[in-house]
Amino acid sequence: MGDNTKTDFEPNIVAFLCNWCSYAGADLAGTSRIHYPPNVRVIRVMCSGRVNPLFVMNALQQGADGVLISGCHPGDCHYMQGNYYARRRFNLMRNFLEYLGVEPERVRMSWVSASEGAKWKEVIEEVTEGVRTVGPMDKFKRRQLNW
Amino acid sequence: MNGKPKIGVYVCHCGTNIAGTVDVEDVVRFAQTLPDVVVARNYSYMCSDPGQALITDDIEKIGLNRVVVASCSPRMHEPTFRKTLNGAQLNPYFLEMANIREQCSWVHEDSVAATEKAKRIIEAAVAKARRLEALDQKEVDVEPSCLIIGAGIAGIQAALDIADAGFKVYVVEKSPTVGGHMAQLDKTFPTLDCSACILTPKMVDVANHPNIELMTYSQVEEISGYIGNFDIKVRVKSRFVDMEKCTGCGDCASSCRQAGRISNEFDEGVGMRGAIYLPFPQAVPAKYTIDKENCLFLAKGKCGESPKCKDACQAGAVNFDLEDKMVEFKVGTIIVATGFDVFDARLKPEYAYGVYDNVLTALEFERMVNASGPTGGKIVMLERGKKKKKKKEGAEEEQPRMPGSVTFIQCVGSRDKSVGNEYCSRVCCMYTAKLAHLVKEKVPGADVTIFYMDVRAFGKGFEEFYDRVRREGVRYIRGNPSEIYKKGDKLVVKAEDTLTSTPLEHEADMVVLSVGLVPRSDNREIIDLLKLSQSSDLFYLEAHPKLRPVDTASDGIYLAGVCQGPKDIPDAVAQAKGAASAAMIPMASGKVKVEAQTSIVDEATCRGCGFCVQVCPYTAIELLEVNRMGWPVQVARVNEALCKGCGACAAACLSGSVQQRSFKDLQLLPQIQALGVK
Amino acid sequence: MVDINKLREIAAEVISRDDVRELIGYRPGTYGFRARPAFVTGPEEVDRLIFTPACVNNLATYITLEEKLPVPRGQEPDTRKVAVMVKGCDSRALVQQMEEKAYGRDQVVVLGIPCTGVVDMARVEARFPGVLELGEIALEGGKFVLSFDGKVEEVPKDELLADKCARCRYPTPLVYDQLLDDEVARFADDDYSDIEALEKRSMEDKWGYWEEKFSRCIRCYSCRNVCPMCYCEDCVLDRINPTWMRRSVDISENTAFHIARAYHLAGRCIQCGECQRVCPAKIPLMELNRKFYKDVGELYDYEPGTNVEAAPLLATFSVEDREDFIL
Repeated sequence: MGDNTKTDFEPNIVAFLCNWCSYAGADLAGTSRIHYPPNVRVIRVMCSGRVNPLFVMNALQQGADGVLISGCHPGDCHYMQGNYYARRRFNLMRNFLEYLGVEPERVRMSWVSASEGAKWKEVIEEVTEGVRTVGPMDKFKRRQLNW
Repeated sequence: MNGKPKIGVYVCHCGTNIAGTVDVEDVVRFAQTLPDVVVARNYSYMCSDPGQALITDDIEKIGLNRVVVASCSPRMHEPTFRKTLNGAQLNPYFLEMANIREQCSWVHEDSVAATEKAKRIIEAAVAKARRLEALDQKEVDVEPSCLIIGAGIAGIQAALDIADAGFKVYVVEKSPTVGGHMAQLDKTFPTLDCSACILTPKMVDVANHPNIELMTYSQVEEISGYIGNFDIKVRVKSRFVDMEKCTGCGDCASSCRQAGRISNEFDEGVGMRGAIYLPFPQAVPAKYTIDKENCLFLAKGKCGESPKCKDACQAGAVNFDLEDKMVEFKVGTIIVATGFDVFDARLKPEYAYGVYDNVLTALEFERMVNASGPTGGKIVMLERGKKKKKKKEGAEEEQPRMPGSVTFIQCVGSRDKSVGNEYCSRVCCMYTAKLAHLVKEKVPGADVTIFYMDVRAFGKGFEEFYDRVRREGVRYIRGNPSEIYKKGDKLVVKAEDTLTSTPLEHEADMVVLSVGLVPRSDNREIIDLLKLSQSSDLFYLEAHPKLRPVDTASDGIYLAGVCQGPKDIPDAVAQAKGAASAAMIPMASGKVKVEAQTSIVDEATCRGCGFCVQVCPYTAIELLEVNRMGWPVQVARVNEALCKGCGACAAACLSGSVQQRSFKDLQLLPQIQALGVK
Repeated sequence: MVDINKLREIAAEVISRDDVRELIGYRPGTYGFRARPAFVTGPEEVDRLIFTPACVNNLATYITLEEKLPVPRGQEPDTRKVAVMVKGCDSRALVQQMEEKAYGRDQVVVLGIPCTGVVDMARVEARFPGVLELGEIALEGGKFVLSFDGKVEEVPKDELLADKCARCRYPTPLVYDQLLDDEVARFADDDYSDIEALEKRSMEDKWGYWEEKFSRCIRCYSCRNVCPMCYCEDCVLDRINPTWMRRSVDISENTAFHIARAYHLAGRCIQCGECQRVCPAKIPLMELNRKFYKDVGELYDYEPGTNVEAAPLLATFSVEDREDFIL
């Protein structure tokens, strides 16, 4: 794909961040004034275990080009186990969406702890570039109705 | 939701922190176009008094029922603005914050992109705000009592503080005596205070305090409940000695057939005991205990004609029929002060611990140096496993000889990836200096050498003590030894003096390994009982490494002492006092608020599959039978005091019946829509 | 082959019990070679019960689908047991339902039928179109024997056998109170060759394939309705508040529907293939469910519908779960 729309394409990525680790890590990147691309928009949840994989499907259907779920490192979950459940669920969902033809670059997961502001920047950059490479998500986009 | 949502959006400039990058006027104009937004304002500092007054005024005058504050991270000011809403008689959970600082203006240089992103974030916040609900923060009563697990110096100190404040304390100690590892020490650095002298008064206080119920030789078997209301079950193990009758005279121990044959744990195996024993002379309570694994009568069913201890006891306290007792009680808070083990030096086979008699751990050496220890405070060469030679008639008793040279090796089992302990154990540099000083004192003319990697003398009086020890002639050689072997009757320590790059084969009579502190081998029991987490070094995890060193992630459960991480006695005492103070906060106020953003089950649609029950880390949700239109069905129900609000149940539920308040699907889906649609 | 008289005898015995309310079995259909479910409430009705390779339905779905009408005041609910005839694949549905606590083991009487395979009715009707009078199918000596309109035709088994039977691993029911025939040993396995072939195709090809299939979907919900694992009171797939997928019939909502249903069946689908059988648009739904089944088996060593005591797949985890896809 070498057309103009791709090089001008700014991915729109929806991210679910757990309050105790990843959201705090993202805040730390802010306090440290670490700069990164503006493509990722965050929804805060208390735990990555709250994230239903169908949110990923819903986000892609609503027009997001990529989805990121970020939580605490295994063993460090504030609620003990939530991230382990998330890990299992998203492994399956990612494989399944790939099987339907949804590029795996669009469904990403990361472990970012509250002290990893620098890592958050790297995650954003890697995920943004990955989605940029595969282009806009238009495979089963919902027709938005504006009454 | 009563009536239509009337949303107020407040965009903060935060001085120039936000306004310097984000076009706040444009953002406000955008917010005004959003459905249900009745007012949108911007202001320099929303968290200030006049900023908060803007919100309060609008709530009162316009009748706002939802508030969106677009400013810093909710982790910063969510509590602030919740209070603002509360003050204006609006339920504090009708607040939603939009993070346009830490996650927007501070991280994006491009003004246009940052402004656009701020608009998206606010649109998502408004979408969620429309569907927020009023939540009640429930209060539960707090039992004015505390359970302390472990009665070393940290547990003892915490117990005394809480008991002095007037609360009831239950102290449960696994071994037959209180005192922990501090009771094993001789002198403490850097003041060379006698450990037992400063500890035993506190041990006695703990046993006698009217507010403290001390259970020794006991173990916590079950803990259930939540802060303010823990249900505890303790097994008080049988000593086979009636505690009321035992006078502590010791006639039983001297008559025991096994006397001198069993390795005494308190003496780290350097000294021996019998099957009926007192761990050490100053033990509290000063009651004897029968070790049922080694007692001939209990283990084999027969002790000669009749058990000698029973015959010797004039108070008739020995009773082989005594059984374990189960004790149950309720407490409001729990402090874990279970202490540590020392590193098992056999995991460093190159140091030949367990192979050569005179390679000792520092704790074994400490017992030797202790005046009430197995060698009466004399530093002597050990002959382990050898039976004492029978004294020939008229011959002089052979005097054990003192070592002419003692070598210490620091960092054994610490700062060592190969044994899985990367951390520094914090106390070893100082206790090694102390032990080296004691050798110089007790063995005139002894050659004392310490092999070290670094010397950490960071505390009050530490550097001065280290200087003193060096002036006394203790030699410090920088180099981590690779091996210990025997040459004749000398031990040879193979090392390199890294400061002069000289390889050495250093001879010594005795080598002492400065073993590090490791988490107890039985710490899994406590983890399972209390659902504690461990940090990467496997000590118990505190709630926050900087700001909450005595709390755990579970409300009402606190940590004190080395179980949270290696530390010396003053730090353990300070932390114990901190934990006591933290535990007293809920106990003193008598009530505690529980999480409001808990989960809730729609019992009409729940199919009783139990996925949520399986998933919950806090057993806060359970299946029970209800009547659904005449039929008995199983549905899930949340115990709101136990629920911590993680939402794992809500994600596991296939029918969407379990939802987490403030993070319901119908609240998150509009956020996804707002952010997804370009 | 099941001895039909023995089957009827056992059925009569079971339905005569005081503690059994109803027996669900098979009876001849209304036309052609079809069979249909039979709901028997008394021993006088057992004569219509059959078991032949035409008995394709998974009767386990009726256990959970049964509507529990409100009990009038003063009356007690009828909590008597339900008896059900199940083939090997169907029995896995019972196991999975019990794993999910839909009911207790003591609330069903399971009459297990070790199965030698059922037909793919579409293939039968393609082979013998326009048969309106009731016909019969039997399996004899490795061939399907079809009797209809006074004729008897023999067809090699593999030409009419349902695809799911060609890869069946559990022909003998895993749970039963009585077995109505001798056990049948496993004779096949699923090599997932078609799934793997699809996995290897390009992204465009894969989406092109599924887009075509999902476009045919008319959102009749037959797949969801027939599935023994789909028994939620208020299914999220057609719920309005919140709306996960709209009821509009277009590629976006259809895709969302199928993704969501397949995900909800991850670790739960017991491969009875009913969804694909009933789909009027001939969407290869089993290719979706088997993808999850394969991944669940390979990644987490889990097989649904085999152990009532097992914990549900997505409510468990292992510290060693794969995480090479995580940054």
